[in-house]
Amino acid sequence: MSRAVPFGSVLRSEWTKLWSVRSTWWCTAVYLIVVGASGWLAAAGTDTSPRADVAVQTALTGFGVGQLTLVVLGVLVVSTEFASGMALVTLVAVPRRTRLLLAKTVVVLAYCLVLSALLAVVCALAARTLTSVPGGVQPGDPDVLRTLGLQVGAAGLVGVLGVALGAVLRSTAGAVGVGVALVFVAPPALALAGGDLAERVSQALPALRVGEDAFLAVSTTWPVGMAVVAAWSVGVWLLGAVLLERGDV
Amino acid sequence: MIELTGLTKAYGTRVAVDDLTVTVHPGRVTGFLGPNGSGKTTTMRCVLGLARPTSGTATVLGQPYRELASPMRRVGALIDPRARHPGRTAYRHLLGLAQSNRLPAARVDEVIELVGLESVADDRVRSFSLGMGQRLGIAAALLGDPDVLLLDEPVNGLDPEGIRWVRELLRELADQGRTVLVSSHLMSEMEDTADHLVVLGRGRLLADVPMAELLGAHSAVRVRTPQGPMLADALRRAGGRVELEIDGALRIEGLELPEVGDVAFLADVRLHELSRVTASLEAAYLALTDDAVEYRATTP
Repeated sequence: MSRAVPFGSVLRSEWTKLWSVRSTWWCTAVYLIVVGASGWLAAAGTDTSPRADVAVQTALTGFGVGQLTLVVLGVLVVSTEFASGMALVTLVAVPRRTRLLLAKTVVVLAYCLVLSALLAVVCALAARTLTSVPGGVQPGDPDVLRTLGLQVGAAGLVGVLGVALGAVLRSTAGAVGVGVALVFVAPPALALAGGDLAERVSQALPALRVGEDAFLAVSTTWPVGMAVVAAWSVGVWLLGAVLLERGDV
Repeated sequence: MIELTGLTKAYGTRVAVDDLTVTVHPGRVTGFLGPNGSGKTTTMRCVLGLARPTSGTATVLGQPYRELASPMRRVGALIDPRARHPGRTAYRHLLGLAQSNRLPAARVDEVIELVGLESVADDRVRSFSLGMGQRLGIAAALLGDPDVLLLDEPVNGLDPEGIRWVRELLRELADQGRTVLVSSHLMSEMEDTADHLVVLGRGRLLADVPMAELLGAHSAVRVRTPQGPMLADALRRAGGRVELEIDGALRIEGLELPEVGDVAFLADVRLHELSRVTASLEAAYLALTDDAVEYRATTP
C-alpha cells in the first residue's frame, strides 16, 4: 500500500509550477522595479522628514501601485489552471481540492512575503540614505519596524486575496478585474464620492495599504485596515474553497 | 478494478450518464465505446473525482478516487491531451506532477524516454501537436507506475507508428495485471486492442461483453446455392433468419454452420459455398448503437 502524500510534496509541486511559467518572472520584475524605483525616487524627493517612520512610509509609496502585481500573480496561479485545462491533470494528481488550494495559497503567500520584505528593506535603506531625519533612520526603531512589518503583511494578504478570487471566479479576466476594482478602483472612487455611507464602504474595502496607511482611500487606523484586508482575504478564500470542492471540473 | 454502481450524472435536465453499473476488471484491456455524447468522458470524470455523480457511486481499487492516499501511484489518467499550461516545458510539467505525489524526479526522465519526447522535453508545450500532447498525457498517466489506467481517446491524433505503440503498451500493461480502460471511436483500433467491451449509448449501458462474444453474436453463415428459395424456406423452418445478399448468396443468422449444412442436406439442396462470416466490430457496434446515436448526420 502506498502511504499518504505529505503536504510538503504538494507545496514543492506548486513551487515548481509557480516558477516554470513566464508570467511569474514578469510579475516579479515589475513588482521589484516599480516598488524599488518608486521608493528611491520618493526618498530622493523628500529632503527632510520629522520622524523616521514617516520617512520610511514615504519611501514605501510604490507599494500602493506595485501590490497590484501580487493580486494578478495570485489570480493567475489558480485561473490559468482552468483556462488551460491543466486543472484536469492537477486535480487527478491532487484530488483533495482544499489541500491543493491551501498549497497554492501558502506558495503565493511565501512569495509575497519574501519579495515584499526584501523591497521593504530596500525602501528603508532609501529613506535612511536620502532623507534627513532628526536622529536618522535607525534599523531598530520600533515605529519603523512596525511600518515595514505592516507593509509586508498587507502585501501577503492581497496575494492571498488574488488566489481566493481566482478560485471563486476561475477566469483570469474576471478575477483580475474584480481584484483591481476591490483594491484599487472602488476605495478612491468612494472616497471622492464623499458622504458618510460612501466613506464607510470605502473603509470596508480591502484597499492596498502602504505601511500603516490605506492608499487612495478613506483612511482608517492600521488595526482596522489590516483586519478589513484579512477579513476579505479569508472570507473570499473560504468561498473559493467551498466552490472548488463542490464544482465539477 | 473500477466499480460503478448505479452511476448517474445529470447536467440540468440532460442525463449524461444513466444508472450505469459496470465493473472493469484487471488483467485485460477494456474498450469503452459509444457514439459522441454517449457519456464516456463524463463517466471517466466521475471515476476520477472531477465531476460529482448525481447519484450512485464510482470507486477505484475499492475507494472513491478522492480518498486515495497517493493517487498517481494507484491510478493514471489521460482525459484531455490539451490539458497543460502552454508556457511550461514538458519536463517542468511532468516534474510538477511527480512532486505532487512525491515521485522521484528520475521517473520524469524515464517516462519522457518511454513516450519518445526526449528531443522536445525542454520545449514549451505551446508548440506541441495533438499527437505530442497525447504522448505527454500518456507520460503523465504512467508517472506513478499505477495499477489502474483510464485513457480517453489516447490514439486520437497519433500517427500510425504511435497508434501501434499505444496498442502494444496497453497490451503490456494489461498483461502485467493492471486494469486498463480505454475509450476510442476507432473501431478497427479497438478490435485489435481490447479484450472486453463496455458500450454506452445515450448514457446507458448497451453491452458489457467479451470482445469475442460480441463479434460471435453478430457473425453469420453464408451459403451460395442455385436453389436459393428452397433452401431459404428450409432454413426459416429450422429457425434461422435469412437474408439475400447483393451477390445472390444467402446470409443466415441464428443457426450454426454445421446446422446450415445439415438443413441443406436434408432439403436435398446443392451448395456451392458454405462459410462463416465474422462480423467486424464496426458492424456489431453499429447494430448495438443504432438506436442510441444522439448526433446523426443526415444526408441532404
